[in-house]
Amino acid sequence: MYLGRWPNVPLIREIAQICGATDAQKYRSDLTDENPRACVLCGRCVRACDEFIMERILDFAGRGTMRHLTMPFGEVDPHCIGCTSCAYVCPTGAIRIVDDLNHPADPRMIRDYGMRINAEMATLDKNQCRMREVGTANIVDVMDAYDLLPVHNYKFGSHPDAKKIGSAELKARFFTQNHPDGCWKGCSMACAKAVDGFELRTGPYKGQKVVVDGPEYETAAAGANMGCFDPDFVVEWNFYCDTYGIDTISFGTCMAFVMECFENGIITTEHTGGKVLHFGAKDAVLECIHEMAAGEGFGVDVGQGIRWLKEKWIREYGADPQFLRDIGMEVKGLEYSEYMCKESLAQQAGYTMAVKGPQHDEAWLIFMDMVNNQIPTFEDKAYALYYYPLWRTWFGLHGLCKLIWNDIVPMSNKTLPPQQAAKVPEHVEDFFKFYEGMTGKPLDEEGMLAQSARVHNLQRVMARMFGNGTRTDDMPPFRAVGPVTAEEYESRAERYDRQLKELAGFDPEGKSTAEKMAALRAYRMEQYNRVVDAAYDRRGWTRNGVPKIERLRELGIDLPRIVEIVRNDQE
Amino acid sequence: MITVNDRDRIEWREGMTVQDLLDAMRYDYALITVTIEGALVPEDEYDIRAVPDGSRVGVFHLAHGG
Repeated sequence: MYLGRWPNVPLIREIAQICGATDAQKYRSDLTDENPRACVLCGRCVRACDEFIMERILDFAGRGTMRHLTMPFGEVDPHCIGCTSCAYVCPTGAIRIVDDLNHPADPRMIRDYGMRINAEMATLDKNQCRMREVGTANIVDVMDAYDLLPVHNYKFGSHPDAKKIGSAELKARFFTQNHPDGCWKGCSMACAKAVDGFELRTGPYKGQKVVVDGPEYETAAAGANMGCFDPDFVVEWNFYCDTYGIDTISFGTCMAFVMECFENGIITTEHTGGKVLHFGAKDAVLECIHEMAAGEGFGVDVGQGIRWLKEKWIREYGADPQFLRDIGMEVKGLEYSEYMCKESLAQQAGYTMAVKGPQHDEAWLIFMDMVNNQIPTFEDKAYALYYYPLWRTWFGLHGLCKLIWNDIVPMSNKTLPPQQAAKVPEHVEDFFKFYEGMTGKPLDEEGMLAQSARVHNLQRVMARMFGNGTRTDDMPPFRAVGPVTAEEYESRAERYDRQLKELAGFDPEGKSTAEKMAALRAYRMEQYNRVVDAAYDRRGWTRNGVPKIERLRELGIDLPRIVEIVRNDQE
Repeated sequence: MITVNDRDRIEWREGMTVQDLLDAMRYDYALITVTIEGALVPEDEYDIRAVPDGSRVGVFHLAHGG
């Protein structure tokens, strides 16, 4: 029957032959289509549109012999994002690609590797990170379970109320859109989530129903950092941050610092315009953000960031400089992103040594170091602090999203030893092939590292040009390294006591909390400095964190003006 | 006694499976790879594979996010 209907389609002829049907004439009828690239109604394209891209634009219409492939109402649907999945899976060539955006050198190569990701998203994601279902909100659950979720200005790593802002709650109560968000045309991960019809209860749009983009992990986790475990607050605060153009991470971390200062009496309602800013004071947080946007009141000060606030409060309010510098979670003037890194040396240095400040480009080092213990030596950590920042830089350089690297993992990865598995080599290869498909130039690990290292080192030299970019600029607030307060120490006393005894050679028996904290601080800062030494050495930087001229030469960026900037810093 | 990731010590008990060990560690992460004495344990055997006393077990979490 198939052979009679589509006698010239090679695939049909092949199957018919296997079945012993070779005489097409025998089955011919009024339905016979002589086109060798005819659609044979196999439905692969329908499944690709649904399962890969979740657009569900293609489908069948008509019954019996009238059955045919179509878009809604027989028209080209504007929601078609041109991902070409349907054409890729079409076995007859009935769907053809007539345009190649950006004129890649080898579009077939790009599709071949891109489709591997699509297939993984369609089959594996639901049992891995559930990026399609809940986006990065899944990380709230993971971080809380592993004592890594920042709570109360990074004092703690988990909280009994964390589930209130976890992925299950956000999905059940808020997420209403679950299709590609358009941030990357054709992306089958579609991790961005949206909340429809959310009624605001504060601010200039009070009473209006709005659409909110998110919340994603960092935003929800910033809620935990401020002690605000109310999902309605998180969504409203998310909306106003977006609307006012304010970064949720910087604001959340800054407000957590403000709250801890309020709780310690460093600032009072006299300074905050009457706002009581204990941890969890969600209404006061919203008041602050509205003030910040309006350019009035205490919110204006908060908008200056932690570094500015510390100096003002030390200078004008007589605050204890050591305490403020210990708990003010910023480096290079940028607020920390939302990962608790006290137990991971590599992540501590990953945060501080990031050229642009402690953002979350390399947050997976926490698991490699703290949970897996897979980079135990200083050299191991130094290599991780060499490879991963450069790999991450590479994404930025090429305008590519990082999420399909390790937020979805191929099955083959589970068969690799940990050091290899951490790099997700199959996906690294996908990116290299994507690069080759676009540019026509092959790329390997060495080439990738060299591309990134040029930019990374140039950025560090530029920081030096502005009077920064040395070891002093890579020093963390102690809160990022260990417990600042007795409350923190005692909340994890068993862990810290054991470390003192087993690692620091200090017997905690009979010692006061203050004595143990002092010993732990000395041990951890010594460890921190050793990892920084090892990382600088691996990067080809001086002990003061400045790129060596020989490293610049090796990278081919030893231009006279650049060398001049770092000449006096050489050892 | 079982050593996990060359660092953590977990009390062994008769009949302990890989899944029991993961539960004891509260490791419920989706992207986990387990090795016993360096040999990979297939995921579908976590419920049935016994962990011998004195084993060196590797539990590798492939971190995502960030």
